[in-house]
Amino acid sequence: MRSLPFALFTRLIPVALVLLAIQRTVCATYRIDGVVVQVVLALAAGAGAGAGSERGAFAGFALGMMYDLGVGTPLGLTALAYGLAGLTSGYVISITPDPQWWLAAGFVAIGSAVGEIAIPAVKFLTGQEGWLNNRLLVVIPVVTAAATLLSPLMVPLGRWCAGAKRRTWRAIPE
Amino acid sequence: MLSSLSRRRVVVLLVLTSLLLITLDRRSSNSVIDKARQAFAVILRPFDIAAEAVSKPIANAWYGISNYSNLKSENEALHDQVEHQKGAEIEAQTAITKFYELLKLYHLTSVHSYKSVIAQVVGAAPSNFQNTVEITVGTRAGVAVGMPVTDGAGLIGKVTKVYPDRSVVLLITDPQFSVQAQVLSRVDVGTTADSTPSSVPNTALSGRPLDSTTSTSTTIPTTTTTMSSKTTTTTNPFGAAPDQTTSSTSTTTTSTLPEVLVARETGNIDGQSAGRPLLFSLLDDTAFTTVKIGDIVETAGGTKSLAPQGIPIGTITAMRQRLGSRTPIVEVEPNASLTQLNFVSVVLYVPNQAAI
Repeated sequence: MRSLPFALFTRLIPVALVLLAIQRTVCATYRIDGVVVQVVLALAAGAGAGAGSERGAFAGFALGMMYDLGVGTPLGLTALAYGLAGLTSGYVISITPDPQWWLAAGFVAIGSAVGEIAIPAVKFLTGQEGWLNNRLLVVIPVVTAAATLLSPLMVPLGRWCAGAKRRTWRAIPE
Repeated sequence: MLSSLSRRRVVVLLVLTSLLLITLDRRSSNSVIDKARQAFAVILRPFDIAAEAVSKPIANAWYGISNYSNLKSENEALHDQVEHQKGAEIEAQTAITKFYELLKLYHLTSVHSYKSVIAQVVGAAPSNFQNTVEITVGTRAGVAVGMPVTDGAGLIGKVTKVYPDRSVVLLITDPQFSVQAQVLSRVDVGTTADSTPSSVPNTALSGRPLDSTTSTSTTIPTTTTTMSSKTTTTTNPFGAAPDQTTSSTSTTTTSTLPEVLVARETGNIDGQSAGRPLLFSLLDDTAFTTVKIGDIVETAGGTKSLAPQGIPIGTITAMRQRLGSRTPIVEVEPNASLTQLNFVSVVLYVPNQAAI
């Protein structure tokens, strides 16, 4: 298992730059019912589901910081939301150390929903009102569904970016 | 070391760090964060270009195949629209010329008094909780934070972040957007009640004179038209009395046009997030209002305003009675199509710092 800072600098940042570019160009242009699919959030949740809560939280925080710098949102806002996404989806490792793909996908969905809803919630707490409205009923399902569909790719990618390895199991000969 | 922290400590650490960063960033000017953003934008630029170069041809090809018939019919409809607008354009040009003459005569300023720079919209907001677009001009073209941005149809937003060659524009639909606006309503005296929307009680409009605290009114003077006498020669088309000449007696008719008041209501326009109409709130909400559905809303101007006077914003589309208040909730549909922005114009008007 790689140390977390090493993995963040050598793996997460290059991958995040590519995903951020896709987010800013492809996802921002081609929307689903006016909703922007969040691929960076999917990676943050995938890192949690693949590498556990703590590593997922730090990976999510780093991804959110890059998002804030690249998109122009208040620095720390998306970082907090994506950190929470990684932390939440990482609870799957507490249930089972090697989760099945569908279980990991479920936790990626929960993590991405938490991350997406945390943004308007934090905005509200910092005085930027007007985002907690009915539109969330459309935004959250679309973002969550997209993250769930992307989870077979994002969980292994997130695990690699967070410097964790998938556990291998060997039968003990009798 | 970081990954060995307990879950609770990780949460506390992340929350505290985030709150500290948000606080630092929300301070009026933080050069370190601004420089970090600029540097990150430079790093991200090649990735953006590569992503666009790969995705655009595929998307265009798919769009062309799947929407061919729609594009064809849309093109024909646009041709028709252009033909219809040619006549209106000539009329509008004449009105604009007269408007310029009046401005010059009275030494007034308007949006036309300021220079502007044309920019292309290169990106929409990648977040679901941010109504911004990125444009291709920045400080090198004289753009500064707070400047109003328009397209052909009206105001689209204001500049919130400026870099050397690009800027970020906060759209008027964003909940953080607010600008002083005015509604110029033409009120024909005696016909006020007829033009009132059914949802708003008439009593709110007829109870007080127009020179109330929030509205100023201008009376267009009564016009007297004198018709001169004339003699007409007509030929009967049925041939009963060919070449019959009818001479009318010389008459002078004096007609009086109805008195017209132009009422100016000022207030604030606020965004309510994408896909929702703008909200117009009166400066003094205790006053009665003369505004009605279909009235045009434009920027009010003034020293404390974000934009100069006269930039169209939108049209009033709905008025609902507000609970516990006599003034209605006024909804305004923006003139500009904010989802299809391509070329925009930044008005080089530096607003008062208080307005930004």
